[in-house]
Amino acid sequence: MTADLRDVRAGGSAVRGTPAKSILAPADIAEASAVLTEAAARGEAVAFVGGGTELGFGYPPTRVDRLVKTERLTRVVEYAPADLVVEVEGGLTLAALQKHLAPHGQRLALDTPHPEIATLGGLIATGAFGPRRVRYGTLRDLIVGVSLVRADGARVRGGGKVVKNVAGFDLPKLAVGSLGSLGLIATATFRLHPLPEAAQALRVAGCDGAALAAFSRELIARKLEPAAFLAHRTAAAAYDAYVLFEGFAAGVEDQAARFEALAAALASSAERVASATLPSNVDEEARTHGDVRLRLAVAPADIALMERDALGPLARALAETRTIVYPTLGIAFVSGYCNGTEAIASAVAEARRSVEARAGNLVVLDIRDPALAKRVDPFGTLPSSFFLMRRLKERFDPSGRLNPGRFLGGL
Amino acid sequence: MMQSATLPANVSEIAAELTAIVGVKNRIVDPAELRTYECDGLAGVRVRPLAVVLPETTHQVAACVRIARRHGMPIVPRGAGTGLSGGALPVAGCLLVVLSRMNRILAVDLENRRIRLQPGVINLDVTRAIAPQGYYYAPDPSSQSVCSIGGNIAENSGGAHCLKYGFTVNHVVAATVVLADGDIVEIGSAAVDPLGYDLIAAVVGSEGMVGIVTEAVVRILRVPETTRTFFATFPSTDEAGACVSAIVAAGIVPAAVEMMDTLAIEAIVKATGVDWPLDVGAALLLDVDGTLAEVEHTAGAAVSIARQAGAIEVRMPKNDAERALMWKGRKSAFAAMGRISPNYYVQDGVIPRSEISTVLREIAAVTAREGLRVANVFHAGDGNLHPLVLYDARVPGEEHRAETVAGEILRICIRYGGSITGEHGVGVDKAVYMGELFGDADLETMNFVRCTFDPQRIFNPNKVFPTPRLCGDVPGSYAPHAVETSGAAGRG
Repeated sequence: MTADLRDVRAGGSAVRGTPAKSILAPADIAEASAVLTEAAARGEAVAFVGGGTELGFGYPPTRVDRLVKTERLTRVVEYAPADLVVEVEGGLTLAALQKHLAPHGQRLALDTPHPEIATLGGLIATGAFGPRRVRYGTLRDLIVGVSLVRADGARVRGGGKVVKNVAGFDLPKLAVGSLGSLGLIATATFRLHPLPEAAQALRVAGCDGAALAAFSRELIARKLEPAAFLAHRTAAAAYDAYVLFEGFAAGVEDQAARFEALAAALASSAERVASATLPSNVDEEARTHGDVRLRLAVAPADIALMERDALGPLARALAETRTIVYPTLGIAFVSGYCNGTEAIASAVAEARRSVEARAGNLVVLDIRDPALAKRVDPFGTLPSSFFLMRRLKERFDPSGRLNPGRFLGGL
Repeated sequence: MMQSATLPANVSEIAAELTAIVGVKNRIVDPAELRTYECDGLAGVRVRPLAVVLPETTHQVAACVRIARRHGMPIVPRGAGTGLSGGALPVAGCLLVVLSRMNRILAVDLENRRIRLQPGVINLDVTRAIAPQGYYYAPDPSSQSVCSIGGNIAENSGGAHCLKYGFTVNHVVAATVVLADGDIVEIGSAAVDPLGYDLIAAVVGSEGMVGIVTEAVVRILRVPETTRTFFATFPSTDEAGACVSAIVAAGIVPAAVEMMDTLAIEAIVKATGVDWPLDVGAALLLDVDGTLAEVEHTAGAAVSIARQAGAIEVRMPKNDAERALMWKGRKSAFAAMGRISPNYYVQDGVIPRSEISTVLREIAAVTAREGLRVANVFHAGDGNLHPLVLYDARVPGEEHRAETVAGEILRICIRYGGSITGEHGVGVDKAVYMGELFGDADLETMNFVRCTFDPQRIFNPNKVFPTPRLCGDVPGSYAPHAVETSGAAGRG
């Protein structure tokens, strides 16, 4: 295994093989700002790391003079339960935030893997989402404000602490998915949701791609409003589909019963699962498994074709695979172990060709095997609007010192 | 105020070039005809454009942009012209590009819940096109029967139901944009999660400063199984505000919560004939939607919370027609102000929801101090106020006092940690307050985004930013326009 970012998490000093000349953990945002100001004066390259759970995403940075860890930026800056809004520093973990909110009957409607380790800043930078995206959207839909420490050390903010705000360009959303290439995410403000009174998960075993597509269509046709709908499998076997309903008890019971009827109408059967963590735990296990992790996206209507042309071949090429599909969203995650560079590289290339032909994409979340990593581009074909992205990066970071090389197109 | 541009000598040359692209019927240079386009919904400010084009295709838009560019003309895009912040207000010597003739729905994709359309499509027509199949387009500004999608994209329009369903930016997934050099670029993806930076978020809400959107793909939603509406009256805005907070504290996420005070109710009753009581201090109009069993619970809970909060009366519509009438009353509120005041000045500030009662009192105090009245009709669920400062322009000094009050209201919103605009945009109207809401480095960073798209600041100059902002290393050569060097107009 290459010296990768897990190395940093364990106290090591290399970022995917690129050694960090110095590692700093600023005590507060003022200190972080001073670190970036100094780096600017010296022309040093800076990379950021939160929990380090998704450092395999993107290209390895070409240069890391200073690695800034956000582990001490963990304050809840402001929490207004009556307004369902919270502002936190970027180094706070998702679990710590949820723990802070729960006594008030609230949560950030985000259920990404590794909540005990993953930080809000990292989740924003990687554009992370979990199964509840079906109902609540992504961080893009939940973030209302951000403050960044820019490449020159200036601390700037966009958005605010009210949920509705169109004053100025939308810096919070630009930060989502920016992979540390525009600035350090110092603080972020989110809209919150009430914790549901009740929840019920149901499982349908033995689904193929066509069945997932049929369940998707029927959920929408019957106007059910699941919080999550995902399918999971190991190896290239059939999928177990999970649906989660959340809300007030009467509504949840009604939807669960109607889903059972829906399954019966599709000549299948839904079994109620007594669990407080399904399906997020299934999602987490599969998405964090293995040494090869991929994410695919197509238009939702193409889900059965994606299964046939991309997910199936990938599941057969990798060892001990897991696949997660969010059928109503057209998103899938495939993970497993590398047991033959050549076969996997060509399966990934074929899968990418197939989803890109349907206006979708395949991105690498992590490939640990160096030989395989060399064969597979992290992102695939650049969008035709890439020239604008390059210009945006040049405006924010004219000397190319923030996470150099890591972002799309090697920005 | 009225600005007049010194027409450059080459106006006939420009007209001929534009005619060659869009045809004589879609090109306006006659000063009398140009008057139609002197202002948008912010009717107090008027500037005559040098020329107007009404292109019908993306390529025509691109060609017109190139012509304007060649002649050093600034460009202002315009949709239906209903915006309330002057986003479509011409700047002196500009080419105004009006998108109203690009009004076709291009493709309906129910399976993926997407619709591809041109920018001139009227907001409500999107929903009308798909309602028979049980779908709708969620963003619903009160002007939805006349405003267009392109303008909605420029302003990141909201509406009553964005409390639950989000704003325009949450519903646009892809767009075709004509840039300042006339190049055409596709951003976003009709599928999901495009690679790279979120350019959609840069374009939606850019107030016409980054380019001209000539096509967009937007998400459409399934019509919820059930919607329950109720209308509750209260002794004052204090009880109504407390009711909103209590509903939220009970874990209910309403689809919409609208508040109207006595003056607003009076205007609406006079204008629309709805039978709302005039002797109350405030009313709430509230929608909850979702599956039937869920909604029965939440609607029931919300009604009992309203009663506990001191509601005088709670009315539930007996049928869809009654429900539609209630909403028509609410959505006609701005237009109804004519019944109680010759003129009004509308603000769009946002405050934390929990501060509604306090802030309304402060607004009332400021207004009274200036000897004016204020009507309030607003999106209470997300704290988006719409104070309507009433005045009579014929009375010397009143207009100025109304402007003073409007400015004070924005400062109050900023002081309570809110924003100067929740959905109307900054435009020219509130640009001066941007420097009070944001610091210089914040604005500089926002300008990075604008300069990424339009380094020479061709599109909608002098809007949004409080002071002129350059883009630094401007590539290529740029000849300033005659009106610019003469000082009649600048670029921002």
